[in-house]
Amino acid sequence: MKMKLRKYFKNILFSIIVLALAGLPFLFVAGFVKSTMIIFFGKCMAYAIIAIGLDMIWGYTGILSLGHGLYFALGAYGMGMYLKLQATGGAITDFMKVGGLSKLPLIWQPFLTIPGMSLMIFLVPGLIAGLIGFFTFKNRVKGVYFSIISQALTWAAYSLFIALSPYTNGNVGITEIQSMLGSIKGNKNVDKLIFLFYIGLIILILVYVIAERLMKTKFGKILIAIRDGENRTYFSGYSVSTYKTFVYVMSAVFAAIAGALFINFNGSITPTAMTISYSVTMVIWVAIGGRGTLVGAVLGAFLINFCEYRFSSGAMVEVWQYVVGLLFIVSVVFFKNGIVGGIYERLCPRNE
Amino acid sequence: MNQIILSLFNGLSASSIILLTSLGLAVTFGLMGVINMAHGEFIMIGAYTTFVVHELFRLFLPRTVFDFYYLLSIPAAFLVSFLIGMVLEKLVISRLYGREVDSLLATWGVSIILQQTARSVFGSQGVAVTSPGFLSGGLKLGNIVFSYNRIFIVALVLLCLLLVWLIMYRSGFGSQMRATMQNRAMAQSLGINSRKVDSITFACGSGLAGIAGCTIALLGSVDSTVGQNYIVNSFMAVVLGGVGKLLGTFLGSNIIGFSGIFVENFTSSSIAKAIVLLIVIVFLQKRPKGLFVVRSRALDE
Repeated sequence: MKMKLRKYFKNILFSIIVLALAGLPFLFVAGFVKSTMIIFFGKCMAYAIIAIGLDMIWGYTGILSLGHGLYFALGAYGMGMYLKLQATGGAITDFMKVGGLSKLPLIWQPFLTIPGMSLMIFLVPGLIAGLIGFFTFKNRVKGVYFSIISQALTWAAYSLFIALSPYTNGNVGITEIQSMLGSIKGNKNVDKLIFLFYIGLIILILVYVIAERLMKTKFGKILIAIRDGENRTYFSGYSVSTYKTFVYVMSAVFAAIAGALFINFNGSITPTAMTISYSVTMVIWVAIGGRGTLVGAVLGAFLINFCEYRFSSGAMVEVWQYVVGLLFIVSVVFFKNGIVGGIYERLCPRNE
Repeated sequence: MNQIILSLFNGLSASSIILLTSLGLAVTFGLMGVINMAHGEFIMIGAYTTFVVHELFRLFLPRTVFDFYYLLSIPAAFLVSFLIGMVLEKLVISRLYGREVDSLLATWGVSIILQQTARSVFGSQGVAVTSPGFLSGGLKLGNIVFSYNRIFIVALVLLCLLLVWLIMYRSGFGSQMRATMQNRAMAQSLGINSRKVDSITFACGSGLAGIAGCTIALLGSVDSTVGQNYIVNSFMAVVLGGVGKLLGTFLGSNIIGFSGIFVENFTSSSIAKAIVLLIVIVFLQKRPKGLFVVRSRALDE
């Protein structure tokens, strides 16, 4: 029994989360929860996807990226550009006119169609992550140096997005768009909202299953080996940088998918997604949920965001900031394994 | 010609601010290997301390001595951030030595708390200080005006640099500090109290950030996120120069500062910022350890 529990603990936990999410729309139809709650949990699913990606590179491989907001934003902007063009019927947008452009810029052209948009959502973040990963890992930039570089990269992108306002709408970002299924607001569109929610859930399950399966393979074990002893892995004859680049690109693509899903629920994206605090917040989810467990990342994303959703308005907002800061310090200093890691060790101790 | 001189002066001024903000980091990150993400918040603490001293002078002391508030605020800012840094080191950092990545995350939590504290105390609106009389205006040479503000900052930076150099390389404490950072176990067995050295070193780094905050208060309004604007550049300056080398940090800041101003001549300032960061990232591919490398035979550094 203990053995079984140990083996399946994480998957059972994930199944519980999925079942709870799957039941949520029923509560909504029955009138127990509001539609804002459904939209909120939709966004949380996007956050959970990016957290899985982060856990793959940080929890398993030991690469701490402080710039995953960049890939998240690229995915969200890609989807947003497509949806914006749908809204304008392929014509140029208002902010382009204000910026002095007379026809649709080349960079926007691929986003006229769904195939073009999907390709760009995968290709752009994948290529950037591939380039950065290939060179930095090959040159053996590691540990905090990589974190600092990834953070600077995101900061640079943030400046660029704000400066190139005719193309990106600067600080305002891409706003006033509907989801891929059309508007999800109001009583008329309840079915669309629920449908979109389940699409999100399916993507989350897919991403989790892919990541979970992959981490069980030899590939996953090598990632853990890289985390625990990079040089030993080199000396054992593995091309560490290739493995690192691969998993980094994969997590960047997950982040882009998360961004694309997020904007469908949120209806807008601003460059704040590329600020440092946004990216570090993502790492907080993984750290508190439990790094190196995947399900911990998912749990952390839901838990932290739910608390923030409940407390970040009204009188609690100040207290919440203190709580989140303290939580973070305490969890890093004392509970390195996070919630899931802690429960896991308690439930099924290693030496039995 | 005037344009060139002005550009050079602007570059010097930009680099001096980067240098001042990264000096503290050069100590905490470069020497101790602690990634202090709350460094920006220590800058903020320095800036708010300046504001508090400014208000105290304005409210309680006669107009005639008002200008001296700034001279007093520099040691005050150093002291306040020094003490807070010391407390932080005792409570959090000391538990995380050797866990670089974790120190990065924990100090981020600290930075969230410090920012919220600042918001609770001073409000989320920015506050501003009036420049002291002796720093308003500028030195006029030909057609060019060099503002006293900027000249003062450059001088202050040089002074700080000199002091840090003296402490690090010409004092008993400096050699204890360097010994501890290079080989902790060896230093301990030679009778150095490494806990005390850690604590004071970290506090000094924080204090330097406080002084940086003093100058930043002169440049614009101060709010709870003011420090955030500086940390990326200062981290990059330290990494570009080579971790653990004072000269490296000096050069790194100058490279980032001057090239930023240079690129700005061709494009807008935020694009220039982005381009400089990208160039530095590309450069670090070539030399991952920065300009000056502390040579060592260890496999893992």
